[in-house]
Amino acid sequence: MNGLAVDVSGLVKTFQVKQKAPGLRGSWRAVWQPAVKEVTAVADISFTLEEGEILAFIGPNGAGKSTTIKMLTGILYPSGGQASVLGYTPWQDRRTLGFHIGSVFGQKPQLWYHLPAEDTFRLFARIYELDMAAFRQRRDFLVEAFDIGHLLQIPVRKLSLGQRMKCEITASLLHRPRIIFLDEPTIGLDVVAKQQIRDAITYLNEEENTTIFLTSHDAGDIEKLSRRVIIINHGRLIYDGRTSALKRQYLTRKRIDVRFAERLNGDELILPGVTILKRGTYGLKLEFDSRAVPVEQVVQQIMAVKPTQDINIADPPLEEIIRDIYQA
Amino acid sequence: MNELKFLRTLAGINLASAMEYRASFISQIVGMFINNGIYFVFWLIFFDRFGTVRGYNIGEIYLLFAIVTLGYGLAYMFAGNTGGSLAYLIAQGRLDYYLVFPRNVLLHVVFSRMVVSTIGDVTFGLIAYLFTGRFHPLEIGLFLLSAVFVALILVAFGVMAGSLAFFLGNTQYASQQLNMTMLTFALYPNSLFTGAARFMLYTIVPAAFVGAVPVRIVQERNGLLLLGLAGVAALMWGLATAVFYTGLRRYESGSAINVNV
Repeated sequence: MNGLAVDVSGLVKTFQVKQKAPGLRGSWRAVWQPAVKEVTAVADISFTLEEGEILAFIGPNGAGKSTTIKMLTGILYPSGGQASVLGYTPWQDRRTLGFHIGSVFGQKPQLWYHLPAEDTFRLFARIYELDMAAFRQRRDFLVEAFDIGHLLQIPVRKLSLGQRMKCEITASLLHRPRIIFLDEPTIGLDVVAKQQIRDAITYLNEEENTTIFLTSHDAGDIEKLSRRVIIINHGRLIYDGRTSALKRQYLTRKRIDVRFAERLNGDELILPGVTILKRGTYGLKLEFDSRAVPVEQVVQQIMAVKPTQDINIADPPLEEIIRDIYQA
Repeated sequence: MNELKFLRTLAGINLASAMEYRASFISQIVGMFINNGIYFVFWLIFFDRFGTVRGYNIGEIYLLFAIVTLGYGLAYMFAGNTGGSLAYLIAQGRLDYYLVFPRNVLLHVVFSRMVVSTIGDVTFGLIAYLFTGRFHPLEIGLFLLSAVFVALILVAFGVMAGSLAFFLGNTQYASQQLNMTMLTFALYPNSLFTGAARFMLYTIVPAAFVGAVPVRIVQERNGLLLLGLAGVAALMWGLATAVFYTGLRRYESGSAINVNV
């Protein structure tokens, strides 16, 4: 049985943010009468995460995702509440915890920019006090797994974003962390590179039982990697459940793509609650709320119009569901 | 021990990174050597004309320059992230990188940057010492040890100057200015200052411990004063550590995209 990797209770973080009216006059006034406003980035969130779980921790920009990760990795002190990561209080036991966690911040590279990745790997071996023989074995394994052997001697500045990200993740795994925090690991990557990163994350989780704490704006990352999602907005937790349940709970809209064997005349399908998104010479794209109109009823109506060649019923992309939740 | 091994590796990687650009690497070192030389020549001309200034003659100036430039060079060759650089990292929220590692965050930050041009300072300091004519082994030993303590004092002062950013926001230029003030006052003959100014040089901006006191240690072959200087260095490191970690509790991170060079 797995223990708890993360246990968060009533975590709060507030910041003092300087306020200033626009323009030079505002700046001048702020010099003499500085105004400060307290902004709550994380407001009383609680959740737990078991060892070996993959969690997608998502929310719109400014929701408090990164602030939460920063408190869980010991970067920031909280303003209130408790958190335990692998049994340690991150901001008190930062150094001890550091040996057991890894982190990849998509927009904050850890590799030394002007040097080949191999040099950073060696530095990390010192940072994590790794036995050199064990380090070489682990490095060789990861280098093969990520297929980056040909990149090790090239200065990082010369690598593509995808190549660099694979090296970043390799660096963060050298010390076999029990939990890894991935903040936007696929940001800016092409589809091939994204898939390689996702495969690596899946491998780590399945083969090494590494707990994955993932934030991403990419619905593909969430859908393909995590069975559990936490959504936060304005610093508050608004959803904590299975990814599939998220789709079921919020996914009452359905889309149907249909291709008819005969040419359409224009007014064959008029159904209350069904919206025609796109009309072609032989095809229609429809959307409807399955709570208002049962799927069977819509399909029967379609079949009654003309003979069909193909029919496809699909959920809207997860991205749209998440967007709807954020906007609500 | 692990910390020392780590710092040694860090120094190596810093040097390797600096040497990636050969022309820049060499020109910075040579440039700083020339820069120090010009400043030094100014004092040579000055003392050639006026002989002595309040007890300081050209011999003391050679020694003063040798100690301060060697100490400064040693400090910034290994520990370049102090003063303005440290304040910049704090204000931009760039300490995140260091905080996720299981290392002493202060040492990791401070030793993560090498100021290449300071190799020129170290070379200059050693050559300037040759002009003092003090080749007694005891004097050479006291000179080198004093330079190490001067380096420690300069780094500790730079940490405190840079840590102001935790409390006051972006103090990059103010912190840089404080470091420059320390260095400038250290390079003047201490006997020029009296009263409140002199008091300041032993307290708020302790430049006397970087210039005048080490000169006396070598001149007088004063081991006791060297111990005193070591005590000041230890005290300043204690203060710098306290100020930095108190400030770190107020650290607010940031969303800037950062790169390690």
